[in-house]
Amino acid sequence: MIAIADQAIATRNSLKTGPTRASGALQFVRSKRLGTPLLATLSLLALYLWLNTLELDSIEQRTINSEYLVNRIIEHLQLTLAASAIVAVIAIPAGILLSRTKSRIAHGIILGLANVGQAAPAIGILVLLTIIFSTGFNIALIGLVAYSILPILRNTMVGIEQVDARIVESARGVGMTSRQVLFRIQLPLAIPVILAGLRTTLVFAVGVASLATFVNAGGLGDIIVNGIKLQRMPVLLTGSVITACIALFIDWIASLVEDLLRPKGM
Amino acid sequence: MLRLNGTKSSRVTRSLTAAAAALTLFGVAACGSGGPETGSAGDELEGLEGTIGSKDFAEQYILAHITSQLFNAHGADTDTNTSMVGSTNVRSAFETGELDGYWEYTGTAWITYFQETEPLETPEEMFAAVKESDAEDGIHWFDPAPLNNTYAMAVLAEKGDELGVEKLSEIADIDPAEQTFCIESEFSTRDDGWPGLKEAYDLDIPDSNVAMVDTGVVYTETAKAETCNFGEVFETDGRIPNLDLRVLEDDRNFFPAYQGALTMKQEIVDEYPALTEIVDELSQLLTTEVMQELNELADVEGEDPEDIATDWLEENDLV
Repeated sequence: MIAIADQAIATRNSLKTGPTRASGALQFVRSKRLGTPLLATLSLLALYLWLNTLELDSIEQRTINSEYLVNRIIEHLQLTLAASAIVAVIAIPAGILLSRTKSRIAHGIILGLANVGQAAPAIGILVLLTIIFSTGFNIALIGLVAYSILPILRNTMVGIEQVDARIVESARGVGMTSRQVLFRIQLPLAIPVILAGLRTTLVFAVGVASLATFVNAGGLGDIIVNGIKLQRMPVLLTGSVITACIALFIDWIASLVEDLLRPKGM
Repeated sequence: MLRLNGTKSSRVTRSLTAAAAALTLFGVAACGSGGPETGSAGDELEGLEGTIGSKDFAEQYILAHITSQLFNAHGADTDTNTSMVGSTNVRSAFETGELDGYWEYTGTAWITYFQETEPLETPEEMFAAVKESDAEDGIHWFDPAPLNNTYAMAVLAEKGDELGVEKLSEIADIDPAEQTFCIESEFSTRDDGWPGLKEAYDLDIPDSNVAMVDTGVVYTETAKAETCNFGEVFETDGRIPNLDLRVLEDDRNFFPAYQGALTMKQEIVDEYPALTEIVDELSQLLTTEVMQELNELADVEGEDPEDIATDWLEENDLV
């Protein structure tokens, strides 16, 4: 009896104390978390080493230099993050509202708009906006938001709707108001799905932000388009590899955040 | 596109998505052949079959149709493919034999395909250099047309009057806040583009005064004269007269002349020697002014490049 009790205490203690937790964290880092940043870093390193072996001509030197590259990367990140933040602020509340209304018309209109935003060619929207308004950062932002609203909107709705009806009913049964059901039951349970939508949006935005170059909003598209038009492979590859690596890094960071915010037990 | 499990409104969603997808399919250029009667001008090219290609702008569509229709009028059986996008795609389709001929510009070949950076002094030198270089790869350049589709800087005529600018050298003298430019990404790094232009005309312009935009947007923004007063344009573009833009005189002769010429595989030219005379007769008529007019018909009036080609060939008694 005593031995068993001791064992139970030992087990309980080991659950609380450091070693297990640390090894858990280590496993968290090791297992699936290192692949993406490793791949991205190696790609960037390979690109750098390859560029160093080349003799760049005057056209290539004008884009492949650290000042130019850093400015384009900053512009690219600003666009991506600003667009994703705006999308989250618009799409999550809209998704919640839609999941709570029974109106088929509202569903049709809002989802339809989000679908059109994504299906319509982003480049067309951007150029159209410049003809109507002007060029620059804000115009590119509108185009990006229109393009990437669908994943979060849809995932918010689906996330809330997929919560087991029996759980919702039980919650009502213990006297929760519908607001309490939303904030205490449905939303927390929908968080993983909503975050997955946010992650998709972020990665979309990194890609589409390359089109900002056409409307004077800079970004890595400046380099990519230049490389294509002038058939300068080093320029094209530099722009493309950096864009791809940014997408990988952002996706990786988002996956970490996703794990941190996921409610315990899910 | 993200699709999680179906919802109540999935049917609505799906049909809307389909409608939007259908919309995006608009604007895909078609392949085709037509125009004047086969053999109406002779039968020297009987047996010649193939496809004349083009890049993705009006001038190229028109030139492709003119060439194909002219060949057909001399007994050939050619069609056109105007659905390719970008110089490099067209060039590789031509090199691999998917296209049998298309119109190219000396400057593009020099800078883009031959990876040079500095243009040569005169148009004649440029032409001789690209012709010689391509001859090694079995590509024949016919004699160039007088049309010069080079870069130019344009200003809205009204704005030009207001600023008192008619020549490029006058830009340096106006208020620095008015020295604003719209250029394309490609132009921004070419030696014969923005860096060279600034140097040639002693312009000291901060990057904040330079907007980098898509080719089409350069025209619309220059015509608005808000984002930029000066826009980088192509000299033969039909939108210049239509948007009331004025090309500034290149008084220090900075922009090199880039002539257009038909390029074809040497083996085809060897097999049909009559081609040279037929193409030469056509090329000499294609001046910058003629091209501007034809481009305007397409870009501004919205006429079909194929019809523009037919009408022009008939007007000039080539068919």
